[in-house]
Amino acid sequence: MKKYNLLFALSIFLISTQCSSDLEEIDTETTITELTASTDNDNSNSTSQTAVVSSFDHEQMLTNWADNIIIPSIINFENSLVKLKNSASIFVNEPSNETLSVLKEEWLNSFLKWQHLEMFDVGLAEEIYYKNRINLYPANVNRIENNISNQNYDLNASSNFSSQGFNGLDYLLFGIGQNEEEIILKYTSEDSKYGKYFLEIIDKMIELTTQVKDSWDDEFRDEFIKSTDNTSTSSINQVINDFIFYFEKGYRANKIAIPAGRYSDGPLPDRIEAYHGKKYSKILILEATDAIDNFYNGRFSNDITSSGLSINDYLSYMESDQDDKLAEKINEQLKKIKTKLTELNTDFSEQIRQDNLEMLITYDIIQANVVFLKVNLLQKLNINIDYADADGD
Amino acid sequence: MYKIIHNYYSKKKGHPSTLAFFRITFGGLMFFSTLRFWSKDWIESLYIKPVFHFKYYGFEWVNDFGVYIYLLFIICLISSMFVALGYKYRASIITFFLVFTYIELIDKTTYLNHYYLTSCIAFIMCFLPAGKYFSLDSYITGESLDKIPVWTIDSLKLFICLVYFFAGIAKINSDWLVEAQPLSLWLKSKYDLPIIGQNLLQLKETHYLASWFAMLYDVLIPFFLLFKRTKYIAFIFVIIFHALTKVFFPSIGMFPYIMISSAVIFFDASLHIKLLNFIRLIIKKLQLFLGLKINEIRLNKFIITKNNRVVFLSLSCFLLFQLIFPFRYILYPGELFWNEQGYRFSWRVMLVEKRGYTTFKIQDSITKKFFYVRNKDFLTPFQEKQMSFQPDFILEYAHYLGEHFKSQGHENIQIFADSFVALNGRINQRFIDPDFNLLNTQESFYNKNWILPLNDKIKGL
Repeated sequence: MKKYNLLFALSIFLISTQCSSDLEEIDTETTITELTASTDNDNSNSTSQTAVVSSFDHEQMLTNWADNIIIPSIINFENSLVKLKNSASIFVNEPSNETLSVLKEEWLNSFLKWQHLEMFDVGLAEEIYYKNRINLYPANVNRIENNISNQNYDLNASSNFSSQGFNGLDYLLFGIGQNEEEIILKYTSEDSKYGKYFLEIIDKMIELTTQVKDSWDDEFRDEFIKSTDNTSTSSINQVINDFIFYFEKGYRANKIAIPAGRYSDGPLPDRIEAYHGKKYSKILILEATDAIDNFYNGRFSNDITSSGLSINDYLSYMESDQDDKLAEKINEQLKKIKTKLTELNTDFSEQIRQDNLEMLITYDIIQANVVFLKVNLLQKLNINIDYADADGD
Repeated sequence: MYKIIHNYYSKKKGHPSTLAFFRITFGGLMFFSTLRFWSKDWIESLYIKPVFHFKYYGFEWVNDFGVYIYLLFIICLISSMFVALGYKYRASIITFFLVFTYIELIDKTTYLNHYYLTSCIAFIMCFLPAGKYFSLDSYITGESLDKIPVWTIDSLKLFICLVYFFAGIAKINSDWLVEAQPLSLWLKSKYDLPIIGQNLLQLKETHYLASWFAMLYDVLIPFFLLFKRTKYIAFIFVIIFHALTKVFFPSIGMFPYIMISSAVIFFDASLHIKLLNFIRLIIKKLQLFLGLKINEIRLNKFIITKNNRVVFLSLSCFLLFQLIFPFRYILYPGELFWNEQGYRFSWRVMLVEKRGYTTFKIQDSITKKFFYVRNKDFLTPFQEKQMSFQPDFILEYAHYLGEHFKSQGHENIQIFADSFVALNGRINQRFIDPDFNLLNTQESFYNKNWILPLNDKIKGL
């Protein structure tokens, strides 16, 4: 009896394994689902929409991120810094209204390029606290003044992160005098400590940027695009986690929520980005919104009419069997954010003082997308925020 | 009726090897799972690091002991080893049950069905004569049992059947069977598995097949395990099923191992005797090698005492409780998967994919000034994740925040939750009434009417 049982069991087992291998064969032959990526750029030179694959091509998405978005953004930013350095040298040698206005233009140009890079806090950038050293605000005005007068400081010390970068330059360009004449005067004094500090900040920014650029060598890039797994350390999960973290922190909290007083008893208008230049906070966040939009939709940094595989495509693939499309909702919400932002005062500190309610409404519109990204997107892609993991059931 | 029960209670006998083998595997598994828990440094990250623990209703008094919690884990290790060896069995299993359960009660963030399963099995084993055969105890006393009442074995079998059965009927709902959710979400994202990840797991057909197979498996496996003729096939299915869950969901932890080894209890005693003989052989060789003497062991008859009647009744009550308790959700209105009232302790395993985003507004009721709390200041990321979509966590945390800000000198505090939750791939929806001051209510068994209803219907059990 028992022998019979065992025999039966064994045969069932064999049949079942046979079945499963049959299934696999059927699968590879018959089920090829067509994937049409990048819906709005069908005539672009991207390689994505021609492919007919049975699954989403994660490596191609990573390749698009690295080759068409991240690396070009670093190069663009580095180039803009070199230009900034040139105009800064000219200004320091020959302080005048003309050289100053060129310098301000280059500063803004470079600051805008940075908005495309801040979200990619991966690899070396993360290790060296790149984003904190380029764009931490508010700038520590007292510390900057002390550094300049003492001439004894180390820009690599974390205590000096808030006395360098774009917001340090912002103070040196707009905040050290009551008017332009007073500011120019600061740079014309004989020892010109201000000019020296100004140039040193830019040198440091160039040094760090070059380091980050060099870290994206062929080896790192190849490793990056091959790391397609769905694990907490894979490229896909890290970049998406960083992207969402940026949207929540660098974008929503720093640019809107903190100055509008979401986390404090009252509003803090002096916490805006580029506080001393006043009129730049809106232009910067609009650029950051475009950067978010472009990356989310896989558009190339140097040609936004072209695109490759993106988070949006990945999401569309994952929710292809569902009716209520999250991918559309995220893009709609990005449009709403842009529309709302254009209604605000160019100077957010002014907006906050006059009508902070509008800032809080803006916050709510951005917040809706935080929830879409952090709750719905991560659920649909089944990506975990890197928690101290525990067994789940 | 009474006669049948009485007959079953006093006459039907089984072989003690069945319980002895179960004792060894259970004790051994618990020993290794405790070691595993320790080696992953979860004692530190789950129990010591959090500044605040989420308590089960009625167990707010449970203390975490700070660093001394390691002592509890050491006791767990020793007692589980003693259980496996059958050394001072009764004291060891009671100690293990109490300490293990106590640890679980410290923070409900870590709630897992298989921890609850462990506590339940350990509880049942406190009543069973599992240490009276093939144990250090009988080696020392020189006494062993030749027969035990079959109900001692059946109580474990019945309990395991209940676990499977409830896990099965919980899957009879429209999300699981009609939408193949959440398995569809989970399997599709396993694209990185070799061979099947890029093709088989991407197919909706596979998700349906897996959903229906899992449901049928859970509902039917208890019956197949109980029948003599189907036992062996059933056991092969047990192995296949749990091996698959381990492949697809590595984070499921020890659950597959516990279920596979528990299912061995359904076999005839002849198999358990063989398995024990195999261990015996190893011990004999060791004994010869070390030149130790073998004690003669006398076989005693199991004598039914008044105590046994108490044990029998206690186990019956426990199993009856297990049979009824999972249905308590019927007493609450609304969607169970959404409001989770009566969700835990009901063998709803891997049933929903739920994520949330919940922040808290602290408002002065008079000046109307308010600010939002950064959850990171109080919770670990894991706690924040669990808190975000479970109403009882949200309520408990709100009260904790209330106490905290009161002690900081804030007055007239009101606390509102800004909460959004997504269930099984649906677009997120507001979860908690944003105008309800959470400090106005206390945790209780009453319906939480401040949970906003799910804008969808999930049909089923």
